[in-house]
Amino acid sequence: MSGRDVIVIGAGLNGLVAANYLAKAGKKVLVLERRALAGGQAVTESFGGGFQADALHAGGQLRPDIVADLDLQRHGLPNSASEPLISLLGDGRQLRLSADSDTETLASIGVFSKRDAERWPEFVAFMNEAAGFLDAAYRTPMPRLPHVSLAEGLPLARLATKLRGLGSRNMFRVIRALPMSALELGEEWFESDIVRAAIGAVAVHGATLGPMSAGAGYALMHNWLNRGGPGHRRVAGGVGRIADALVAALKARGGEVRISAPVQKVLADDQRARGVRLVSGEEIAASIVISGADPRHTLLDLVGAPDLPPEFVWATQSIKMRGSVAKVHLLTDGAHVLPSGTLVVAPSIRYVERAYDAAKYGQTSLEPYLEITANGRVVSVHFQFAPYSLREREWSQERAVLERIAIDTAAGFLPRLKSSIREIRSLTPLDLESTYGLTEGDLNHGQLILDQMLFMRPMPGWSTHKTPIDNLYLCGNGVHGGGGLSGGAGRNAARAVLKGA
Amino acid sequence: MPANQYDAIIIGAGHNGLIAGAYLARAGKKVVVLERREMVGGAAVTEEIFPGYRFTEFSYVVSLLRPEIIRDLELPRHGLKILPLPSTVTPMDNGDYLAAWPDHEPTRREIYRHSPRDAEAADEYGRTMARAAKAIKPVLSLVPPDPSSMSVRDMLGLIKLGQYARSLSEKELYRIAKLVTQSSADLLNEWFEFDPLKGTKSASGIIGTFLGPHSPGTAYVLLHHYMGEIDGAFRAWGFAKNGTGGVTAAIAASARALGAEIRTGASVKQVIVKGGRAAGVALDNGDEFHAKVVMSAADPKRSFLSFVESKHFPDDFVEQIKNFRVRGSSGKVNIALSELPQFTCLPGESPLHRGAISISPSMDYIERAYDEAKYGQCSKNPYIDMIIPSMIDRDMAPPGHHVMSCFVQYAPYDIEGGWDDSKRDAFGETVISTIERYAPNIRRAIVGKQVITPKDIERIAGITGGNIFHGELLLHQLFFLRPAPQWADFRTPLPGYYFGASGAHPGGGVMGAAGKMAALEVLKDWHG
Repeated sequence: MSGRDVIVIGAGLNGLVAANYLAKAGKKVLVLERRALAGGQAVTESFGGGFQADALHAGGQLRPDIVADLDLQRHGLPNSASEPLISLLGDGRQLRLSADSDTETLASIGVFSKRDAERWPEFVAFMNEAAGFLDAAYRTPMPRLPHVSLAEGLPLARLATKLRGLGSRNMFRVIRALPMSALELGEEWFESDIVRAAIGAVAVHGATLGPMSAGAGYALMHNWLNRGGPGHRRVAGGVGRIADALVAALKARGGEVRISAPVQKVLADDQRARGVRLVSGEEIAASIVISGADPRHTLLDLVGAPDLPPEFVWATQSIKMRGSVAKVHLLTDGAHVLPSGTLVVAPSIRYVERAYDAAKYGQTSLEPYLEITANGRVVSVHFQFAPYSLREREWSQERAVLERIAIDTAAGFLPRLKSSIREIRSLTPLDLESTYGLTEGDLNHGQLILDQMLFMRPMPGWSTHKTPIDNLYLCGNGVHGGGGLSGGAGRNAARAVLKGA
Repeated sequence: MPANQYDAIIIGAGHNGLIAGAYLARAGKKVVVLERREMVGGAAVTEEIFPGYRFTEFSYVVSLLRPEIIRDLELPRHGLKILPLPSTVTPMDNGDYLAAWPDHEPTRREIYRHSPRDAEAADEYGRTMARAAKAIKPVLSLVPPDPSSMSVRDMLGLIKLGQYARSLSEKELYRIAKLVTQSSADLLNEWFEFDPLKGTKSASGIIGTFLGPHSPGTAYVLLHHYMGEIDGAFRAWGFAKNGTGGVTAAIAASARALGAEIRTGASVKQVIVKGGRAAGVALDNGDEFHAKVVMSAADPKRSFLSFVESKHFPDDFVEQIKNFRVRGSSGKVNIALSELPQFTCLPGESPLHRGAISISPSMDYIERAYDEAKYGQCSKNPYIDMIIPSMIDRDMAPPGHHVMSCFVQYAPYDIEGGWDDSKRDAFGETVISTIERYAPNIRRAIVGKQVITPKDIERIAGITGGNIFHGELLLHQLFFLRPAPQWADFRTPLPGYYFGASGAHPGGGVMGAAGKMAALEVLKDWHG
């Protein structure tokens, strides 16, 4: 049994980011990955037959401060470029939205509303300010309330000052936008339902919310922050290369990544972590264990309810996961002639809201909100809403239905697509759980809703990345700073560990 | 002082306007309350629509009315009498029912009948909500500070708020944070399993909003309705003798006794502005009233977009008021009955007839009702909250006959194609046929019925959008954001013009807090 300073469970981006920060601080770090490849949600993998795709995310980017701190450019971090969002409309028309407010974008919006085209640059500026504030909030450690020490209080005070620094007009705009519905926010800015719908689609992307749900404004800010605009940030060579760069950087720092090494249990003596046991039975000791897995899996499966306070177990069980995202990857003959960009099927606010309605009642949307991205011959379809918990059916039966709805819907907006399809590989919410270890198929390890944000993420009172088990920390998307491929949670957790150590 | 010259003019004799008038008169000010209608009461009125049958027309229960107001204005001496509303019963589709009483033990036994697990949970849930409501109450009586301001008053307010937060236990603080942000469906699913129980509890989370139980923010509305149930004055929800008109009648009597003048049939057209200050009001009939202070107890849209020319306000403020959400989502059906409705689950005359009867079989039922409304239709199967006032107060209907008050959600103000008589009839019919499923004799017992759509609430009670809270209790329309950022302290950008109604902090219900707090702010400024 060989000792380590730190064991990180899961080689997802957050785990790798945390591992890098700790290795950089001189810790001896071992990252254990269940699957045969590192990356977690940031994987570019082969589905056989020369069929390779970014399995879960069509794009993404680590926070710039992480890239700088970890010097990732030097370790082969691929470039990513933001692409426009193209909203497909039934009648063949398209709406183009880009954070650059380029002439093409303004002209495109102008087709639907001159006034909206005029307001777009101001909206982008506001969203960038709002996202900037959210980023600052995500970087600020969230202490246990209400009895905050001065040391903990100062960063919060700085955050408040930053908020006031926006000026009262934008400050209140940001505060009001958080709990708003995407529709309300859209209505305050734009008159065209088509523009509002595209904004609404960005808001509910990855979230089990509709554009009419309160709180979608926060989800919009979150997604805008991760994307740097309405469209994806496409990664040259695939999102898997982000993970590759982190692995390379970790190795250069003396860290280690073991793949195909699923953890079965976090070992603890009287509420103090001392290492992990692998499914293989091997035990590895470490003075600190950090889990990049979602809080529920980490605490209820890897630790186990018997070793935790009942109220804490109840809170963990109460984390809202309910993923409703599915992916359908299509290998085509290349003749699909898709326009380049992040294509969305969200022709109206009501369309997206109706798609969400199905999820509320445990049904797959018959007219789903889709996000379609082409990468050479591969066309990837992000499908919402496909609820993890189906009421009447099982996902084993529903897969075929999901694929048919995805293809038929996409084909309705992209006539040349259907005939060019050669192979289909779909990932249901159940696959997201079983293959990628995402409880209830929730990409964010916990819904991005107001009652699960900041000092209430992952659970009220546990926003410090600590757990009732000493020296067991959480660093996945489910904790403060997490969500998307930002790596923010990993950075925050590493800082908490280094403070604690 | 010449005629029509006052210290303060109050626009609107709803409960908030009357309360503000009473408090100002109590402080020795010469006050006139101007009411557009021929009767006082606003949305708290009792009218004899059919001879002998008295309808508590819009609002129909009391519980949020602040006890200190009842004491300060000696309302009982002026005729306020609150009769207990002893129970709530939810008819079930299988012919059974779920009942709840203010008393703990029978309620626990009743829930146990349906779900032992929920009976256990209900105890802790009740305590938890009561604690949370108690904990959040001080905030309701706080003048919201402006977090963007550097003024001493606001800074002190913020410090007060910080001290308040630190005074709470960690548990309370997080519980409140969760309750304020979460959806009532998430809240209730954490506690309960029995659908009729969850449906009935979730209903108070959607009343007056244009959201469904699954939407974040509805747990706060649920908590808001919980406030009443913990007031020292009367524990459970109550029904006012003579309906809610009885409440405003008592307040009006108290205000008059304190020296306030109340003029009905006095419809304000515009606020007179002199030298950048509110100086009085002009009525539709041309009459003018002059005063040092004008307070509006009308809704924010009329108060700021119609009574005052927008040139007197900053553009930002006007835009914020335009963006203020007042989407009406509920209607009323008031029914005169020749006999008691015979609910299949309550044969004969049951004591439960004296309480509320709630059509809320499940949260899905209410969510689906919302789904139809958000696409511009009335719910095919609406949530209905019924009371039979004549069972509580025999004077409400002729002997042996009854009146029934049905609060119905959802009925969207912006119904597709707009409201007209045929849509109103269809709405009424939907309600009757929904009730008929649970009380088969209802149709033949109907002597007359009054169907009130959100459009009618706007037309009769003068509430823009027909929203019963003058503006939805959405997170971005609460506390220092109600009715607009930087103007949540009952003052307005127009000096001398104040705002004290449900559209101000702390919001709606027959609560009166806004009217009282606004009056006190007026007095604070009086010599300043």
